[in-house]
Formats: sequence, structure tokens, C-alpha cells
Amino acid sequence: MYNQLKDRFGGPLSVGIVALIAIWLIGMVILPQLLMVDYSFRPNLLPAEMGSEKDVYSLTNYETLFNNGIHLTIFLKTIWSSVLVTFLTLVVSYPLAFYLAKVATPKQAAFCLLLLIIPFWINEILRTFSWYIILAYKGPLNALLLSLGIIHRPIRFLSGDGGVMIGMVYAYILFMIFPIYNAIESLDTNQVKAARNLGAGWIRTHYRVIIPHAKPGIATGCIMTFMLAAGSYAVPALLGSPGSRWFTQIIYNWFFEGGDWNQGAAYAFLLLIICIGFIGLVMKLFKVGLGDIAR
Amino acid sequence: MDSSVHLDNVVMQFGDFTAVQQTDLKIESGEFFSFLGPSGCGKTTILNMISGFLDPTRGSVCIGGQDMRGVPANKRPTSMIFQNLALFPLMTVAENIEFGLEVRGVSRVERKKASDRLLELVALEGSGTKKVSELSGGQKQRIAIARALAVEPQVLLLDEPLSALDLKLRQHMRTELKEIQRKTGITFIYITHDQGEALTMSDRVAVMSAGKLQQVADPIALYRDPKTAFVASFVGENNGIAGSVVSSDGNTTMIDAGELGILSGRCQSVLSQGSRATLFVRPEQLHLGGEGNNHLAAKVEEVNFEGSYLTLNSTLSNQQPISVQMGASQYSDRFAHGSDLQLSFQGESAVVISGEAEHV
Repeated sequence: MYNQLKDRFGGPLSVGIVALIAIWLIGMVILPQLLMVDYSFRPNLLPAEMGSEKDVYSLTNYETLFNNGIHLTIFLKTIWSSVLVTFLTLVVSYPLAFYLAKVATPKQAAFCLLLLIIPFWINEILRTFSWYIILAYKGPLNALLLSLGIIHRPIRFLSGDGGVMIGMVYAYILFMIFPIYNAIESLDTNQVKAARNLGAGWIRTHYRVIIPHAKPGIATGCIMTFMLAAGSYAVPALLGSPGSRWFTQIIYNWFFEGGDWNQGAAYAFLLLIICIGFIGLVMKLFKVGLGDIAR
Repeated sequence: MDSSVHLDNVVMQFGDFTAVQQTDLKIESGEFFSFLGPSGCGKTTILNMISGFLDPTRGSVCIGGQDMRGVPANKRPTSMIFQNLALFPLMTVAENIEFGLEVRGVSRVERKKASDRLLELVALEGSGTKKVSELSGGQKQRIAIARALAVEPQVLLLDEPLSALDLKLRQHMRTELKEIQRKTGITFIYITHDQGEALTMSDRVAVMSAGKLQQVADPIALYRDPKTAFVASFVGENNGIAGSVVSSDGNTTMIDAGELGILSGRCQSVLSQGSRATLFVRPEQLHLGGEGNNHLAAKVEEVNFEGSYLTLNSTLSNQQPISVQMGASQYSDRFAHGSDLQLSFQGESAVVISGEAEHV
């Protein structure tokens, strides 16, 4: 790796590049995280008490979650809802990705991709807030459904997790579409034709030929979407109600409202561990390695 | 079983571009039929229309007497061997072969029997559990054939399946394909730009150019009696000499080729006197010396030794290139660059076609 760099850029520049990456990784990622790990095992003390006999490592902060029924429920709900968001995003994205990769002409595909990307030029808060308007009790969606006669009374989309999940599917759809699109795009179209030619209907063609090929892309998309959903703050903060709090909001509260960084750090780490566990699970489920995902 | 294919006045247009001009063609049941033409001539489009991947703009495709309009690709009694084979890389060899049967709900046991039988047919017994990536080019080729045959198609469509193989293997696979066709009695429709393949394997060949059928004939007739200038120059080597018709009686036509003199060749139609025509004479029909009834003088430019025969690339007195072929045993030192040749050919061995020669 270093030799490749050296051949290309020469010695001093290569050292510079590696050093910059190292400073970035160590200074911006590893050290702060280690500091947080350290925090999470210490009790929350007044400055005067730091270093005194009270300042000992313990698992107390981690135990808090399991002793607090409400927090634990929110924690589990966050995980479960994120799984659901991931699944919904996959269901929405796969057909779209397939259409873009194999059905649309290059011109149509480029146009659709542009339409997908343009909303992402607007920042996440504004985009999410537009959903707040759309989903409002007296908002346009309810008005439309009422006028079509599909519902007889407006629905409170924003009072449960429904609004949050809709917002998240929308917010993270690109992270799902692009890996799957790339994977399907790389599939030889003759493979699809061959399956059709041998008599396979569309469902079997997808199930036996296209999805197995796209598996690394699907896994990548699922992992990214899950991580973003589980770690999302803006969407639940805007679209959620007091009854649909996200675990990230609890963490935020520990840090900035409870002033208990130690407790917040412990909660954040529990979320991280679950997320890493989820990645492992998805990779096992889809039988893909890290190398496949990085492709 | 009737497994004939009838292209009933089909036309295929993509926007303003006509890929296949109006074509009416009947391919007989059990025939080995080839479409031969340069790339972009519309032959693959025809294959896609038969397999159902494309719907003709006009006309229809009938297989076994059944109109295939509205029948999707997965419901047609055809099976295709793709140019790049398109084996499923994530499945084993046996799974590949059995895929079409799996789709049809055939039981696992029956599927296994079928794949074993087919592996035997293509001489790859016991490779069922291998991965596709473990096979050599020729083996992959055979698995593709086995997979296509597994669904017991009425018509097998082959899209230049041998083009990726090396010469020896290609020649071997030609015999093998012909053999499989004889054994199974399935109609084979073969697409190729390689005239060697088309001529050696086919019962009949359709030569295509720019979306138009030029001629449909058996290989020998195609070679001996090309009907258009395109066929004359595309199939085999040919020397075209342009001139104007002096006399034509529906049997022999004489043309005045300017400073090359009056030359004669076969022509079944009567061409009007004075009209432009081209005489085609094959390199192997040109002989040294004066035995033939048509004479040409040429100068040797280059001698190409090709093993069993040699080719003299020469120029006629009007500077037009002409190629002469003879058995290698006739080689002698006098064929040096710049030496003069006295050539002759029999009028019966040359063909006169109306119009100017096209350059291929």
C-alpha cells in the first residue's frame, strides 16, 4: 500500500499523505472514541471530586439502561423500527434500482437519478420539515386522502412512529438505491435473458439470478440504512412526538440536558455495539464478506 | 413434431432505423439454418424476434405453426445459446443445466437424471458439482448447450456461440454441434459472421446485409451461384471485374471489361445490352496458362504461402487487384514480385451479376 503510494507520489509526499490520514484517524476518530469509552465507565462527578476515591471504573452507567424500563423500551423500539425502516427502504429501492439499472434507457436512468439526487441538495432539516408539513393533521396528504374518499377522518401520522419511519425511508433511500443499482448494473443482461429464455417468470428471475448477484449491494444498502436510521437524530426530533422518541434523543438528553456525559457515553456505546452486531448479522445472513461490501 | 419457424413478413424498426426489412422466410423442421452477415446486418435482431425478446414492428413469427404474437420469451418453445454463454456463475454446473426444469416444476430426482444424461451427451460426466468458473472455455460451451437442450426446445437459437473459442476448438465444436443437431432432430438457427461456420454446418444459409435478406440457399449453391454482388464478395474470396453487357442469353453473358477485353460468365437472367454488370471469378478458378476460354494478363505483387495452397496477390493490366489461388505443389520460383502471369478461366466457372460490385 505504502509502496504503491511511493511509486506514484514519491517519498516525502507519501509520508505526508499517510501522516494526514493517521492524524485524521487517531485525532478525530480513535482518541475521542477512547475518551468516550473512558467516560462511560466512570461515575458522573463534580469537578472537585474527580480523581478522588469516588472516581473508580464501574459498569454502573451501562446497568442504568437495563434498570430503566422506559429507556430500555425506547432502545429496543429504536432497533426494531430501524430494522423496519431498513426493510421498507429495501422494498421501495429494489424495484427502482432494477428499473434504473436494467429497464430504463441511459437517458431515462440519468433523468431519474437526477430527480432522486436533486432533493438531497437541500439540507436534511428542511427536507424533513417538508414531511412535517405533508404529514400534518390538516396537511396536504390528509386532504388528498379525504378528497379521494380513501379515509373519512384525517390520520395523525405524526403521533406515532409512522411519521418518523416515512421520513427515514425518504431520507435514506439513496443510500439503499445506489449500492443496489451498482450491483444490478454490473449484472450481464444476458443472464436475465437466459433465465427468461429457459422459462423463468419475473419472480424467479429475480429470486434466482438477479438478487443473488445483487446481494453484496443489498447488504451494503441495508447496513448503511440501518446505521443511519438507528443513529438518526433530526428525523425523529422533527417528525416524532413525545410518544415516539428515538434512542438518540435519550443520548442527547443525557449529554446536553442531564449534563451526564458519562451516562450518555455508555448509552451511545450500547447503540454502537448493537449496530456492529447488526452488521455482523446482515453479513452472515447474506453470506457476504467485508471485501464484497467494500467493492 | 412440427418445429418449423416461419418469419411471416416481419419488419423490425427502432425509431427511424429499420433493423430488419420486410422478411418472409420459412425454416423447416429439423433444419440447421444459418444467418450469415457482417455485424449490424440485423441477424441478431431476427434471433431476438424468434426468442421473444423483441416484438416485430410488423408481421409475426410462427413456431410449429403457432403464431407467437403475445407469447412472452419465457413461454416460447425456443432455447438460446448466447454469444457470451451467460451461464449463471453463482450456480453449479448441474444447477445451471437443471434451471429450466426447476422452473417447470420437475422433481429433484428427475432433474438430476436429466442433467446426468445431458452431461453425458456433451461428454462431461461427473462435472455436475463443479462451479462454472472451474470450467475451461470449451467445457463452458458444452454446458451452455446442455442447459439449452435440457428444456427440450423445438428450436435452438445459437448466437455466435463459437466466436470466443480458439481455432482448433471452434472446428471441433462445429462437428459436435452438427452431431448434436443430428441426434436430437431439433431445428437449429445459427447466427454467425463467420462464413466457414455457416458453410460447414448448415443445411441452408441466409446471407444478410443491412437488414435485408440477400439470398437463401444451401452452402454449395451459395458459393457457386451467388445472386447478388454482396453475396458474391462476402461468401468466400472473389474477384469482381466490372464491365458493360455485350450479349446475354439467359445462360451465358459476355461483358466488355474495357482494356481487359471481352469476358464471359454464367448468368441465368437476360441482361440488357450496354447495362453495367460485374463478372465474379473465384481465385481458385483462375489458372495459369491458356486452357480456359477467357484470358487475363497479370503481374505478381505478393506471394502468400498458406500451407496447402498459395495465393498470388496480383494486379491486372488496368491496375485492378486480382487474387489467384493454387495448390502449394504448383509453387515455383517464377512467382516472384513483378513477374508476369498469363491467366485464364472457364466462362462456366464465373458468374455475371447485374450492377456494380459492392465493396465488403
